[in-house]
Amino acid sequence: MHLSNETVTAPASAIRTAGAHLFWAAEPSPGLIRSMARHGQAQAVLVRETADGLALVAGYARVAAQGQLGQPVLARLVETADPVELGLLYLADNSLRPLDDAMRLAALRYFRLLLDDAQLAGEVLPCLGVTPGSRDAKLLADWLTLADSWQGHLAAGRVPLAAGTVLTRMDEADRLAVAPFFAELSWSRSNAVNLLTWLYEASKMTGRPVAEVMADSGMSHGPLRELSPKDAMARLTALAREARQPTLRAMQTRFDTAARKLVADTRWRVAQPDNFETNGVELTVRIADPGQLEQAVHDLQAMADRPHWHQLWDTTADHD
Amino acid sequence: MTDPSPLPSHLRRIAQVFVDESMADSPLARRVRHRLADSTHGHIPWTVVPAGADRVHFDRGADQALYLKEYKGKFLRFCPGTRAYHCCAYRIIHIGENCPMACSYCILQAYFQDRVLKIWANQDDLFTQLGEAFSADRSTRFRVGTGEFTDSLALEHLTGYSRDLIAFLNDHDNVVLELKSKVVDLSWMDAAKRTDRVLPAWSLNAPFINEHEEFHVSTLTERLEAARTCARAGFRVCLHFDPIIHFPGWREGYAQTIDMIFDYLTPDQIAYMSLGSFRCMPQLTPIIADNFPSATYIYNEFVPGLDGKARLLRPLRLEQFTFMVDRLRAHGMDRQLYFCMESSEVWQQVFGHTPRHLGGLANHLMARAFGE
Ligand code: SF4
Repeated sequence: MHLSNETVTAPASAIRTAGAHLFWAAEPSPGLIRSMARHGQAQAVLVRETADGLALVAGYARVAAQGQLGQPVLARLVETADPVELGLLYLADNSLRPLDDAMRLAALRYFRLLLDDAQLAGEVLPCLGVTPGSRDAKLLADWLTLADSWQGHLAAGRVPLAAGTVLTRMDEADRLAVAPFFAELSWSRSNAVNLLTWLYEASKMTGRPVAEVMADSGMSHGPLRELSPKDAMARLTALAREARQPTLRAMQTRFDTAARKLVADTRWRVAQPDNFETNGVELTVRIADPGQLEQAVHDLQAMADRPHWHQLWDTTADHD
Repeated sequence: MTDPSPLPSHLRRIAQVFVDESMADSPLARRVRHRLADSTHGHIPWTVVPAGADRVHFDRGADQALYLKEYKGKFLRFCPGTRAYHCCAYRIIHIGENCPMACSYCILQAYFQDRVLKIWANQDDLFTQLGEAFSADRSTRFRVGTGEFTDSLALEHLTGYSRDLIAFLNDHDNVVLELKSKVVDLSWMDAAKRTDRVLPAWSLNAPFINEHEEFHVSTLTERLEAARTCARAGFRVCLHFDPIIHFPGWREGYAQTIDMIFDYLTPDQIAYMSLGSFRCMPQLTPIIADNFPSATYIYNEFVPGLDGKARLLRPLRLEQFTFMVDRLRAHGMDRQLYFCMESSEVWQQVFGHTPRHLGGLANHLMARAFGE
C-alpha cells in the first residue's frame, strides 16, 4: 500500500502539477470552482515528496481550483515514485469519473510503455471498465497503434472507437487520404465505419490506394464543401458504397430505372429481393378498398404488356 | 538400424500426440506410434487422455497436435447441401476433423479454432456402421468421400486410414469412394482390388492461388502427375475447381491450369469435374482477414446468397464459369462438368441445361462414379 495516513496543506503554487501519469488532467469546471469556494476542499489530493518539493499524484483540477481561489491545498502523501503505481493511484483517485473512449485510450497509452499485454489486461483494463478480451479491448489495442492525430479525432468525437480496426488495416498513405473527412465532420458510428470499410475494401478489391479510389469516385473534398455537413456525409457514404459495389450498384440503378417505367402511374411497386441471385422480381400493391383492387388488376394487366420486363430480368446489360 | 526418415513437409508441424485412454492400444494408435518412431518425429511426446475428458488443450503457436480419439457419433453422414442450390449429394464418411495444411479460404478455420488434428481411432466402430449401411441392400449404390471435415489424404502417411477404408470397401462393390486431397500420397493404391470403385480426386486452382493462398500443399504439377499415375494404373480421377476465385489475372490463371490438365490426362480418364465459386459463411470473412491479411479476394463483390452464405455477385460468377466451361469444352470435357452448389439459372446460362436435363445431379454423378 502506497497511500500514507499523513496529510499536509500547501499553497497550490508549491505543488508541481506535471507528469505523464496525470493523463486526464483538465482545468476545473465552473461548478467545481463554485463548490470549492463555498465549501472548501472536500477531498484531499494525492502528492508525493520529492527532492524538489511536492509533486502531484492525483487531483489536478482541485489544485488548479484552489490556486484560482487563493486557498491552500489539502493533500495526502503517497509513498512511491514507481510510475505504474502512480498511474494506478491516479486511476483509483478518479474511479468515479465518467469515462469516454478517448480517456481510456489516453490511460492505455501511458501504461502501455510500462506494462506488458497480460499486465494491462489484469491491472488496467478493469479500472477502465473494459473487459479483457472484449471487442472494446481489441479496438483500444488497435487504437494504440494509431498516430496521435487520430487520437485527437477520437477525443473530439469526430471518429468512433469502432473505426479503429479498419483504420489499423489501412496503411499510412490510406489513413492520410481519409483524414480530412474527420478533421471537419463529426461522424456517427455506423457512417464512419461504413465509409472507412467501404473505401478500404474497394481499394483492396481493385488493388489501388484509397486516395485513387476516392478520386475516381468523385470524393475529393472540394465540391462537397458546398453541402451541409449532414448532406456531405450522406453523399460521401453513398459514393464509398458505390465504389465498393460497382457492379451491384450499376445493376440496381438499371433495375430501378426499368421498374419506375414499368409501374409508372400505378400503385404497384417492383423490387428485386435477392441481390440478383435469381431473376425473380417481387410485385406489391397496397389496397384499401374494392375500387383500388379493381384499379390494381387493371394496371397489372396493362403493365404485362409493357416492354420493360426483360430489362428487369437482365440488369447486366445496358438497355439505353 | 536405418536413419529415421523425415515426415512429408505438411506433417512436420506435428509436435504432440494425444490418444484417448480407450484407444491407446488400438491398431491405429499402434500404427501411428510405429510410423512416427521410424521418422525424425520419433521423439514427440504422447499424452494419454483419460476417459471422461471431453477435450484436449493444445496451444503452442504454429505447432500442431494429432489426437487419436474414440468417436461416438455417426460416421456416415449426408453432405450439408441446401435446397436453394443443386447439391452433388455425396455421402460423407467422417474419419476425423481438421487439416495440417493451411488454405486461406478454408472453411475449417471457422469450425475448428485449435491446431488439433483429430482422427477417429475406433475404426472397428466405423467399419461396423459402414457395413450395416452398405450391406443392408446391395443394390443401393453409394458415392462416398472423406474430404468434408479434413483432407482425405493429409494424414495418410501416418494413419493409413484411406488404405484401410479401401481394403474394407473391396467387399462392397455398391460403393464408390472418392479421396479428395491437395497433397500427394498414393500409398493406398495397391490396396484397391477394383480400380473402378476408387476415385482419387484433387482440387485445382489457378497457379497464383495455389502459390499465394494454399500453404503446405503440393504444387499443381505434383497433383496432376499423381492423377496421371492413378489414371495409368486404371483409376478414373476427379478434379475440382473449388473455390474459383475472382482475382486480377484470373482468366490467364485458370486458362493455364485448364490447359495443363490435358498435358497429363485425357477427358475419358476424368470421372467428373466440379466448378465452385468461392462462397463462405459470413463469419469466415473476418477470420480470413485476420489469419491471412494478404488475401484480398475476400473484398470482391459478395452478396448474401439464397443459403445465407456470401457469394460472388451472379454476373461475376457467370463470367468466370462461362470462360472456364468454354475452355474445358474446347479440350473435350462435357458431361463430366458440374457446378457445386449453383442454381438452375446459372446452370442454364452456362451449360445450356439444368441438372433436371441430366436426370438430377445426384443421379448423374452416381452414374458417372460407377462408370456408366
Ligand atoms: S487442404 Fe483442404 S481441408 Fe486442408 S486447409 Fe486446405 S482447404 Fe482446408
